Amino acid sequence: MQGKGAAAGKLVGGAAGPQGNPAVFQRIAAVFRRIAGMPDYEAHLEHLRQHHPEKPIPTRREFYEQFLESRYNGGPTRCC
Amino acid sequence: MSLRNLGWLILALAGAVAWGMLAIHRGETISAGWLVLAAVGTYLIGFRFYSRFLADRVFGLNDRRATPAERLNNGRDFVPTQRWVLFGHHFAAIAGAGPLVGPVLAAQFGYLPGTIWIVFGVVLGGSVQDFIILFGSMRRDGKSLGQMAKEETGPITGLLAMVAVLAIMVILLAVLALVVVNALKDSPWGVFTILCTIPVAILMGFWMKVWRPGRTLEASVFGVALLLLALVGGRYVAQSPTLAPWFTYSGPTIAYGIIAYGFIASVLPVWMLLCPRDYLSTFMKIGTILLLALGIMLVLPPIKLPAVTRFVDGTGPVFAGKLFPFAFITIACGAISGFHALVSSGTTPKMLTRESDARLIGYGGMLMESFVAVMAICAAALLDPGIYFAINAPLSTLGGNVQSAAEVIRQWGFSVTPDQIQSLAASVGEKTLLGRTGGAPSLAVGMAHIFSSAFGTGLMALWYHFAIMFEALFILTTVDTGTRVGRFMLQELAGQVWAPLGRTSWYPSTVLASAVIVAGWGYFLVQGVLDPLGGINSLWPLFGISNQLLASVALCVGTTILIKSGKARFAWVTLLPLAWVVAATFTAGWQKVFADDPRLGFLAHASSVTQQVAAGTMEAARGARLIFNDRLDAVITLAFLIVTLLVLLASTREWMLVLTRRKPAKAQESPFVETAYAG
Repeated sequence: MQGKGAAAGKLVGGAAGPQGNPAVFQRIAAVFRRIAGMPDYEAHLEHLRQHHPEKPIPTRREFYEQFLESRYNGGPTRCC
Repeated sequence: MSLRNLGWLILALAGAVAWGMLAIHRGETISAGWLVLAAVGTYLIGFRFYSRFLADRVFGLNDRRATPAERLNNGRDFVPTQRWVLFGHHFAAIAGAGPLVGPVLAAQFGYLPGTIWIVFGVVLGGSVQDFIILFGSMRRDGKSLGQMAKEETGPITGLLAMVAVLAIMVILLAVLALVVVNALKDSPWGVFTILCTIPVAILMGFWMKVWRPGRTLEASVFGVALLLLALVGGRYVAQSPTLAPWFTYSGPTIAYGIIAYGFIASVLPVWMLLCPRDYLSTFMKIGTILLLALGIMLVLPPIKLPAVTRFVDGTGPVFAGKLFPFAFITIACGAISGFHALVSSGTTPKMLTRESDARLIGYGGMLMESFVAVMAICAAALLDPGIYFAINAPLSTLGGNVQSAAEVIRQWGFSVTPDQIQSLAASVGEKTLLGRTGGAPSLAVGMAHIFSSAFGTGLMALWYHFAIMFEALFILTTVDTGTRVGRFMLQELAGQVWAPLGRTSWYPSTVLASAVIVAGWGYFLVQGVLDPLGGINSLWPLFGISNQLLASVALCVGTTILIKSGKARFAWVTLLPLAWVVAATFTAGWQKVFADDPRLGFLAHASSVTQQVAAGTMEAARGARLIFNDRLDAVITLAFLIVTLLVLLASTREWMLVLTRRKPAKAQESPFVETAYAG
């Protein structure tokens, strides 16, 4: 079950929905980031372009800082 | 009959045959393969049929309904995520030391009771809990368990749930830290490796924040490589007569070190230490668990532990108490774990792309954790029973040296020679393994057996310390993230008393709240380290009881959701596990407080200490401290029971009001929005 999960994840790529760069390495990197809990920068830019063209585009650094803020300043992220 | 149904029939038969093999082969060795087959067969049947019934008939998951991730997508917490990726993420969030340690401790009853509870408990209980809370939170824009309790049942229930969560967190962090202390005391190799994780994490933190922002994968690969280097380096440290004393510490010293670490990690910016450690532990955890599964399949080790031991009568050395109720609270995570309700109602529901994905993530994710618990049982059960008890019984029972330990264990009916105990310790690079309570060391010995048989013999010591590092790494990650979460909860509660205390960006409030949380779990940790019975005997049941009571709260909330959405005829799916968990946990809680046996009951232990002080066999100051701790543990257990009872009563009242139509059956779901995703 677990093995199948990891393999399928690698093949299908990071975030759902439309995605730009098809480079295999980037996709694998995105899967790893998502499993660790970090959203995909490229996918977010694509989402902003499509749905909120009026909003400012964050730099990679700003995006990372926003993520840290929302992930670790809330409820439990790890169980026993 | 279609080909597909035939496949399920074969699977069901394979699982049934495996259970049959476990039932027949009593008193002789049996391969761990049968355990794994019985578990996996049952999981697949449970997933295919029961979780589909829950998804389609009970919850009515609807892929036309847009999920919070789609409607509220903000690129941070609300992000639609591919379901197998989210499965990995959710699994890494829920699986920690609990499913590894609990089953190892419960192996004192034999391998069969634990396995049955883990496998059937998860299919009918644990997975149902995780699934329904994930479903409820998904329909409510990712609200937390406390918020759902408040909205569906009332503000007092919400507040009770919040206080209960904070109290459980304190006990959880203390007992997990105790597991690490017992694994690392007098072990320079282990201490060196774990200490190295701190500078490695800080280096990764600077990499991801300052040098190459957001490049998680490179930094993690680099971090894991350095960690493995530290593991190999630990051997040289341990063998060097000049370096080894620098890294050899007693239990209390390590405990104070972990307390200081928890405080520092809570007040430092997250990018520096907490976040990179989180990544390291996530990848190490998933990687090692996959490796362990592969190892067990390759080696198929024979199970040497009896199916059922004589200790079901309550006289076991690892922890006191009979099979019922104590097997069912010692194994919390792995069968049903209330703590999961916090993750299932926080991060994960905000990432589901489609409603139907909740079935794989919620129900399936918990099955996977249960499988980890079964592997932990296999790892403990492949040890010679004598060795298992030499590692897991407290030093005070074993008499302090290998000769006395072998004699005590022989009287229990298991044969082990002093030489066997000593040479095993030497082969894993430790001076002694005697009385290393807490489960982690015996699990590491079992894992080292599996790994060295599967992937290269002669590396026993390296694999042992790899396993110790793996466990300590993610326990310490739970300790630092848990301290931080506890700090936020406390600030939220304190902010209602005096507003500035609630400002999480106000540094004095941050330092104060962190200090209070750390002092809370630190107190119980030190109590456990100094406990003459090894600490696990009192703290692990306290943790198990609190975790199962939180599961009761979650199942109450789940039942309320079902009844209020007009699904009362299906309420048995949560009421059934609720009844069992409440019965086991209240019995256990009652016995821990009021039992006459001083090993089992906190109050009986306090009066036995009073007698010892009066008789002059114990000094008064030490006696007073032990008595205070016993009474404190008793009060906390009773407080947990009362809080849960209040939640149960408030929920039952709500159910009755709805069922007798004195209150409308209306749940507080977010309104339906049609999905924009292509079908």
